[in-house]
Amino acid sequence: MLTPADLEALGLTLRLAATVTLLLLLLGLPLAWWLAHTRSRWRRPIAAVVALPLVLPPTVLGFYLLMLLGPDGAVGRAFAALGLAALPFTFKGLVVASMLYSLPFVVQPLHNAFEAVGSRPLDVAATLRAGPLDRFFNVALPLAWPGVITAAVLGFAHTVGEFGVVLMIGGNIPGQTRVLSMRIYDHVQAGEYHQANVLSLCLLVVSFAALLAMSLLRSREPARD
Amino acid sequence: MMRRLWQGLLILGSAFASVTLAATPEQQITVAAAADLHQALDAVIVAYRQAHPDTRVDVTYGSSGNLLTQIEQGAPFELFFSADSDYPQQLLAHGKAGGTPVPYAFGHLVMWSASIDMKGVQLADLAQPKFGRIAIANPQHAPYGKRAEQALRAAGIWNRVQARLVFGDNIAQTAQFAQSGNAQVGLVAESLVIDTSVKGSFVAVPSSMYQPLKQSFVLTQRGSKNPLAQDFANYVQSAPAKAILQRYGFELPNDTVH
Amino acid sequence: MTESPHGLSAQLTWRRGALAFDIDLRLPAQGVTALFGPSGAGKSSCLRAIAGLDREATGRVSFGEMVWQDSAQRIFVPTHQRRIGYVFQEASLFAHRDVAGNLDFGYRRAGRPAHLDCDGLIDRFGLRPLLQRRVSGLSGGERQRVAMVRALLSDPALLLFDEPLSALDGAARAELLACLESLHGMLRVPMIYVSHNVDEVARLADHLLLMEAGRVIAQGRLHDTLTRLDLPPALGEALGAVIEGRVVGYDAQDQLIELEFPGGRLWLPHRHESVGQPLRCRIGARDVVLTRAPQSGTSALNQLACRIVDVAAADHPSQLLVQLDAGGCVLLARITRRSWHALGLAPGSEAWAQVKAVALGF
Repeated sequence: MLTPADLEALGLTLRLAATVTLLLLLLGLPLAWWLAHTRSRWRRPIAAVVALPLVLPPTVLGFYLLMLLGPDGAVGRAFAALGLAALPFTFKGLVVASMLYSLPFVVQPLHNAFEAVGSRPLDVAATLRAGPLDRFFNVALPLAWPGVITAAVLGFAHTVGEFGVVLMIGGNIPGQTRVLSMRIYDHVQAGEYHQANVLSLCLLVVSFAALLAMSLLRSREPARD
Repeated sequence: MMRRLWQGLLILGSAFASVTLAATPEQQITVAAAADLHQALDAVIVAYRQAHPDTRVDVTYGSSGNLLTQIEQGAPFELFFSADSDYPQQLLAHGKAGGTPVPYAFGHLVMWSASIDMKGVQLADLAQPKFGRIAIANPQHAPYGKRAEQALRAAGIWNRVQARLVFGDNIAQTAQFAQSGNAQVGLVAESLVIDTSVKGSFVAVPSSMYQPLKQSFVLTQRGSKNPLAQDFANYVQSAPAKAILQRYGFELPNDTVH
Repeated sequence: MTESPHGLSAQLTWRRGALAFDIDLRLPAQGVTALFGPSGAGKSSCLRAIAGLDREATGRVSFGEMVWQDSAQRIFVPTHQRRIGYVFQEASLFAHRDVAGNLDFGYRRAGRPAHLDCDGLIDRFGLRPLLQRRVSGLSGGERQRVAMVRALLSDPALLLFDEPLSALDGAARAELLACLESLHGMLRVPMIYVSHNVDEVARLADHLLLMEAGRVIAQGRLHDTLTRLDLPPALGEALGAVIEGRVVGYDAQDQLIELEFPGGRLWLPHRHESVGQPLRCRIGARDVVLTRAPQSGTSALNQLACRIVDVAAADHPSQLLVQLDAGGCVLLARITRRSWHALGLAPGSEAWAQVKAVALGF
């Protein structure tokens, strides 16, 4: 039922979503932490920038990225100067674009979770001889764990369903940027409705499973250490 | 206060209704056209409207396959200008056409580059690494894409350049990839690059290397009820329109033997 | 005994909203110091500043020989490097760990020092049956007990207790207060105990710091400070002698105990005391009636012979505060001006202080 090309697209999609989720968590945890605890006047503007991809049409994001990362854009030229391969039409480029596109879906739940933890448990930990990193890993993170789960699942599911950005900057290259959503679109355009149906169902099942997993993982107690 | 609110809504509602009802399909034609016709068809419409100032022609450009799907699912287009003849034929075969497909032009495939001088370049030369990424339309469903694949195979370099291909969703996006410089060269429609302000150069791909791009249009079922649609279709086949199409690099059905 | 080296010394200033804080305190190296004052005086803010939890304060804080903060020299030792044990008003236990995990948190980071009797503390505070329980399943009193032992197990050099009993109901509070009283005796580190409840202060404190509107307005030994005449009206209700004596008698039939102290003997209701034990007793100024001569036929069980030392106006214009000396012990009485004049009292006069037994004891 699923052709090798379809399976390739599925594998690529999952690989992309996993990579993006992991990188966003690594980037998002310190960012969300800063947003939750800083009193700097940059807090609000930066929070707004983080939220921007929520309201920006994905095609707009893809378009601006294409211009920016292309040979005439600031980043593209910097890359060329450094001898690095250009980002459009590559898996790496898609990872970068997806990270921007899914940024608020990861950072916002983390931000909310850290704010909910508040400063009291951290004050308590400080009086019990825990230094800053100690407090983060042994108090803040375990208490914020449901938020981390939400962030990971939302980031993953959102990237799996991505289309607009991929359309603009992907180039639809098999094995590199031909993700599942592009494949479905291609099938529809070619009038291959049956395949489109099968793949759509696939995507639906993956998304549903992800959300179900999130619900199950969250209902457990906060992580024990 | 509530009464004022209701009054306001009523006025707004009737104004809205009158505006929309006023825009009756009486003097309007809705056209779906392949992406490669963008500039050419716009020019034809301008000429048409000089002769028929009261008629509105709304065009939606897109990939032919996509437009076909939309029409089959009930999209309100009256004329369908495809980049090939298969898609209009499919519309007829599925019983959704209001007439028979009529060829209106032959498209040409060219190699276009923003950075490399294409003068004297042969298709087989694209195998050279200096041509980097090659943009073609998606062969799975885009007529120009299918032709590009055929040509590359005919040149014997299809397997070699596989890894460097970049697929545009339609021929317009393919041209955009090449014009933005993200792809070093693109196999695009001549009609899209013949009159562009974007700096670059192009050279034709020999017609013998690919199946002819016989572009046909067809009236939809909806279009068969709008006499203006047929009128416009006739205009496209008339001399002034043909002259415009030729300017954009299209060959005309009567000119060559196919 | 040679003077013990200074414990905490803090001179800090900061602003919070409309309140300007200006703290200057020096505490002994031993004993419990109560930080007392009305709500809004800034007691908790003061404690947090001493702990280094809020960094807005500028000035100098030192503990013994360690300088914890010196704004002039840009020194600031972060909270986790000051050996403090802090108990917050609402227990603030870690929700992601059970009771044992909470207790172990500071204990482990302190290196599980051998001189801390971990099991002893757990048993003394009755935590043994609670060790495997989740935090959410504990009552308020249980949580505070865990919080206290948790702080003690982090091997602190200074204890900071911020109104630990304020959020508890009567029974839990009484139980915990008894715990703290017993702890007092074996504490080797100084404690600052914040409270707005004068009974807690009277039972636990050795020293007193009085705060009002962000400033320390009085500091000194507990008894001396609460019998001063020059304190602001806001503290009016807290005034009174806190005497220390020994239980010398017990009347089982009437359920009364007799307390002996330098100023005489007092009868008070028996609660849990046993003969021979040392006991503190607070004699609120408002519970003292003055007479020129000893009375008979009065329901007040206690009469103490005193000499009037000094007098000052009280917060209400109808009243006066009278400082008395009973056998070397300072007592305070609050009476009306009318009575003062009617009885012809004056500094130096002899008088008798009548105290209802019912008004005594905690």
